[in-house]
Amino acid sequence: MAGAPLHELCPAEAGAEPAAMGLALGLAAAWAGRPGVVWVGEEGAFAETGAPHPPGLAQFGLDPGQFIVVRASRREDCLWAAEQALSARGAVVVCALAAGGKPLDLKATRRLLLFAERNGSTCLLVRPLADASAAWTRWRVSPAPSDAEARELGPPAYAIELMRNRAGPAGSRFTIEWNAHARAFRERDLARDLSAASEDGPADPIRARVG
Amino acid sequence: MSLADARAIQPSLEAVEAEPEEDARTLENIAAWCERFTPVVVIDAPDGLFLDITGCAHLFGGEAALCGQIVTRLQAQGFAVRAALAPTPGAAWALARYAHISAQERGEEALLRAALAPLPVEALRLDEDAAALVRRLGLKTIGQLLAAPRSSFTARAGARAMLRLDQALGRTPEALSPRRPAPPVFALRRFLEPLFSVENILVATERLCADVIEKLDLRGAGARRAALHLFGVDGRDRVIEIGVSRPEREMKPLLRLLREKLNRAAENLDAEFGIEAARLDITRLERIEGAARTLAAVEEAQAGAEQLAALVDMLSARLGPKRVLRPKLHDAHAPEKAGAWSAALHSSPARGEAYIPRDGVMRRPLALFSQPQPIETIAAVPDGPPIRFRWRRVLREVARAEGPERISGDWLGGLPTRDYYRVEDKQGRRYWLYREGFYGDSVARPRWFVHGLFA
Repeated sequence: MAGAPLHELCPAEAGAEPAAMGLALGLAAAWAGRPGVVWVGEEGAFAETGAPHPPGLAQFGLDPGQFIVVRASRREDCLWAAEQALSARGAVVVCALAAGGKPLDLKATRRLLLFAERNGSTCLLVRPLADASAAWTRWRVSPAPSDAEARELGPPAYAIELMRNRAGPAGSRFTIEWNAHARAFRERDLARDLSAASEDGPADPIRARVG
Repeated sequence: MSLADARAIQPSLEAVEAEPEEDARTLENIAAWCERFTPVVVIDAPDGLFLDITGCAHLFGGEAALCGQIVTRLQAQGFAVRAALAPTPGAAWALARYAHISAQERGEEALLRAALAPLPVEALRLDEDAAALVRRLGLKTIGQLLAAPRSSFTARAGARAMLRLDQALGRTPEALSPRRPAPPVFALRRFLEPLFSVENILVATERLCADVIEKLDLRGAGARRAALHLFGVDGRDRVIEIGVSRPEREMKPLLRLLREKLNRAAENLDAEFGIEAARLDITRLERIEGAARTLAAVEEAQAGAEQLAALVDMLSARLGPKRVLRPKLHDAHAPEKAGAWSAALHSSPARGEAYIPRDGVMRRPLALFSQPQPIETIAAVPDGPPIRFRWRRVLREVARAEGPERISGDWLGGLPTRDYYRVEDKQGRRYWLYREGFYGDSVARPRWFVHGLFA
């Protein structure tokens, strides 16, 4: 999954938006390159889940010094800002669209893909489930209950399902946990670190199963 | 003289009500229009303007030509105009009002004295007291005043007259306050033919940019803020402002930002009469430290930072600085204060390592609502988290909860004390809830809110 230019993260149902956001920010933290992470969101998306909270971002393992948030009032501003951010070589750009409104068309996703490919940057598109898309992978995301002592909360955890995969078979499901110290996801059932950084690149939690 | 007396002399006299406010507005408009000749325009109420044309005259074919142009064009607009050129504001004021010449070449003090000498003392911008005093001494012209011994002016009114005389001759500098502060660096261009198309305006902008960069280089400084003024034939001044997050002295980034804004403003430029002059002001500049960069790693990091800075400039120019934000972390107890967002254009990146809890479990939500959202709790244990709660019309069963974490009202600027809980429902969704007030407090029932969401 790492190195591919465009991924889609779709909340599995209403109420799963924060989970999609968490997965996006986790991947962004794991892959954050030189220029950093740019979070471009539609105002509607901020209203739905609240605005990113800096202490929360820091506890999640994101470097606040390399983090920019763009609040776009219109869909076209949001996409334009995402495209500009993707022009920064190696940037990781999270583009969060609001649940309402017209579905994003294929052309818009192609543009994002093009900008990301051309500049070696990565786009994580958080959007409602839709059909047409140029994304390399599409994930359905829902929150996963904590796996901890009774009544206690554990680290952030997500149930994800690979719905589309340009480079291989789809359909796999995982439950993953975020390790903020290692800046990597680990698959819970396997209880082993799938995301240990390989020597030639950033942590890659998914490739082991998908690729 | 009363109106009746005046009518007795000239029966056809037409009387018009004085409108000082309207006059002031007209003067302000003329001042704005004059900015196409120089950025430094000073309003001298009720009926005068000072224009500092230092560094501008060559664009108009010399000082006299510039002065002549201003006069003819204002006359064409229907104003009665008198203008004069002089090395000091005081002398210009005197010559414009009392000399029967429309323009005066600049000269040395001797020439200036000769020019001012025949003028009445009132030409020195004297108030009534000072003028009366000088007249009582039998001095009617500036020449006589110049010849009189200074020691004879001891009274306050006399001192004021001497100050005005010195200012007119340039012996004492005079500080004027322009309509807007004079930009430390600017470039002005005027066009033989008015420009109509955005492309042509862009070409002109590029030239202005080059002029400005040259001046910035001489100062070893870069631009932080700039304003492009486009002066229309219709008399309007259209301003396009840009800002960058670090001092910039490269042409390309400045030009890119200006082009971006110009293209966006193209519809509003409304340049059907054409643009006849343009000025680029650097309204804020900053020194550039010429640090030697040698290490590849440093360069690498800088390249990343520079990319991000350029991106911030670009996004802020189009979307507005309030929409492009950097996180700020503060050591504060109130959640709203602990984390804030500031315009990335005007702030530097946050420093310091991210604080991650040892167990990797988040204590603070990833997203916070600007307005805590009230919830209906069901079967809450006194002084404990709720067992169920309804939020956004959905009933949620609490599976796990940790807390309370008490945040005293003192930290919240006088609001009631809050007890925060981290709560997970049966589906695994996580909320940051708080209770305001205590059970048994009996004043009011405690209220519950969702303040943020963990992801």
